[in-house]
Amino acid sequence: MDVSKTGTSRRDLLRGVSLAAATPLLAACGGLGSSKSTDTTRKTIKIGFVSPRTGATAGFGEPDAYVLELARKAFGSDVQILDRDSQSNPQRSAQVANDLINGDQVDLMLTTSTPETVNPVSDACEAAGVPCVSTVVPWEAWYFGRGAKPDDKQAYKFTYHFCFGVEQFHNMYTHEWPQVATNKKVGVMWPNDSDGNAIRAALGPLLKQSGYTIVDPGAYTDGTNDFSAQIARFKAEKCEIFNTFPIPPDFATFWRQAAQQGYRPKICQVAKTGLFPSQVEALGDIGVDIAGGAYWAPTYPYKSSLTGVTSQALGDGYQAAGKQWNQQLGPSLALFDVAAAALKAADPKDKQALAKAIGSLDVETPIGRLQWGKGPNANVVATPILGGQWIKATDSRYKVEFVLVENSSDPNVPVAAKLREYRG
Amino acid sequence: MNYANAVLQGVFLGGLYALFACGLSLIFGVMRIINLAHGDLAVLGAFLVWSLTTHLGAGPFVALAAALPVMLIVGYLLHRTILARSLRGGPLTPLLTTFGLAIVIQNALLQVYSPDVRSLGGAAGDLATGSWHLTEQISISYLGVLILSAAVLVLGGLSVLLRRSAFGREMRATAQDADTAALVGVPAQSVYAKATAIAVATATVAGVFLAMRSTFDPSSGPTQLIFAFEAVVIGGLGSLWGTLWGGMILGVAQTIGATIDPQYSILAGHLVFLIVLAGPRGRSLFTHRREATA
Repeated sequence: MDVSKTGTSRRDLLRGVSLAAATPLLAACGGLGSSKSTDTTRKTIKIGFVSPRTGATAGFGEPDAYVLELARKAFGSDVQILDRDSQSNPQRSAQVANDLINGDQVDLMLTTSTPETVNPVSDACEAAGVPCVSTVVPWEAWYFGRGAKPDDKQAYKFTYHFCFGVEQFHNMYTHEWPQVATNKKVGVMWPNDSDGNAIRAALGPLLKQSGYTIVDPGAYTDGTNDFSAQIARFKAEKCEIFNTFPIPPDFATFWRQAAQQGYRPKICQVAKTGLFPSQVEALGDIGVDIAGGAYWAPTYPYKSSLTGVTSQALGDGYQAAGKQWNQQLGPSLALFDVAAAALKAADPKDKQALAKAIGSLDVETPIGRLQWGKGPNANVVATPILGGQWIKATDSRYKVEFVLVENSSDPNVPVAAKLREYRG
Repeated sequence: MNYANAVLQGVFLGGLYALFACGLSLIFGVMRIINLAHGDLAVLGAFLVWSLTTHLGAGPFVALAAALPVMLIVGYLLHRTILARSLRGGPLTPLLTTFGLAIVIQNALLQVYSPDVRSLGGAAGDLATGSWHLTEQISISYLGVLILSAAVLVLGGLSVLLRRSAFGREMRATAQDADTAALVGVPAQSVYAKATAIAVATATVAGVFLAMRSTFDPSSGPTQLIFAFEAVVIGGLGSLWGTLWGGMILGVAQTIGATIDPQYSILAGHLVFLIVLAGPRGRSLFTHRREATA
């Protein structure tokens, strides 16, 4: 009976997976035909918004409810925003995107946070000819990760993106690390996933050019529960700088083991995790002094052109609603600023024109001024990422807070402190 | 020297895997159900302990002691309300039921606790980060020793309970043949419910140790389930001591793999699992289904 039990379930599972994988394809094919016959007499403009609200990357989706409320208020009743949860899962993401395209017939799609959510939505929109704006995926992972060739300057007709890239990381690291005296040896833990491999290929050589020695024990699999091998290597090589792009639980496991086994770098530079206060709080005392990057903070001197809300007011408003500010607020609201500007620049019901208009937009958003056409290519605006450090909170309501220590990618944003050596 | 440390850390890691696998092994041994919600039940337990430490200021171990009776009851009710019914629906139903239960638990936790990552490492203080440094390369972490001892105690205790006590006899009898056991007055459903209760309690212990080692969030359960399952299979289905060895073999395989190249860490564990599955013991999984619980 067990044979049939496990046998059937595995087969069912496979069938389910293949169905889920095939659905977006089928739906995308359907989308090609139906988008032509879109009813142009409808009055309400529909915007689809896909983000991870549940699942592994749900932390990014947390401020969504607050941002959506601001956006809905500003747009009024003419614009309907349909928000969908990607469940942090590429198949699900493609599915909800296709439902929005074919079922709800959205005029414009917005999507944010991690390649797993964003890339399938962008792909579905490109295939169906629906304009799409996305953010919070390193732009190389979005542009090249979806198949663009390196010498292609406009690989996509309908999908546009704004986000930082490897160059901004390099900028940040090379301006931040010299603030503490080290031997310039960087121990890196770059995982075997799309982010880790992109960073290994692109950031590694750049850092070497800037005079850093990279000690790379090799790509590890996400979900690893023991990092003694890497720690032994970093200790042996005396790496005074540590850099990693892990998922949050892996970093917590590593960092505790590093403390147990006596590896204490002078700078602990994390990316991908350590973006949100809860991730650092969870580490306890060993989380203080960790350095990270920020793509938005309430001290950014910009405001949202759609809602008129300044960065400071955005952060304060969110904190008044209950939780400590987190950097995802900025780009999420920026998406709606771009959407509003695009809808003004072209006939919202003409998808070709709308997509074309996005390619030449110039919009003020909480994360800065976004100008398409000046970036690394026609589809992408490269935005800054600034260096900061987690310190013990001065506000008694919270445990840790993030202070900016470096602003090379956007000097308009004030720096609040200097990088401190990690004291553990 | 690196390999010595790898083996040592692997053994400690194996303790965690064995703890996770314990409840899975027990439920499979007694009821022939693969509980796909096992990892999520562990995370549920970790959240309960986290709540107690955060809101009542209790230490993590005091909180664990308080949470265990609650989770025993949760396990008992889980069987009485859900698993008992699904068992009547044929062999596939419990699998689907626990799969559904996993989704329900994850989303319920997400509603209540938000997607924030949490950890009990901060609450455990020095215990989570401290260690004895034997040499420059080899260090023994307090937490590793604690987890391994807990695993030996839990698995050993259960094994003795099964061999020596009247309740253990009933459980073994039910595992071998529930109908015949019922004929001589052993109520299968009651035995099943107690086994589920114990399994959920051990999952809670595992969840709490995971939460001290790393971080957890509502979606952390499934990743640990796969390692627990591998430990159960490597150690032999239904055997509790075997599960302890299985966990350690898996842990050591992963750390040795990582010492060769970090890329091979998880892969080495999977390979050992596949080798066991392809070997005589793996084949016996499919032929001798009704073996007794050790």
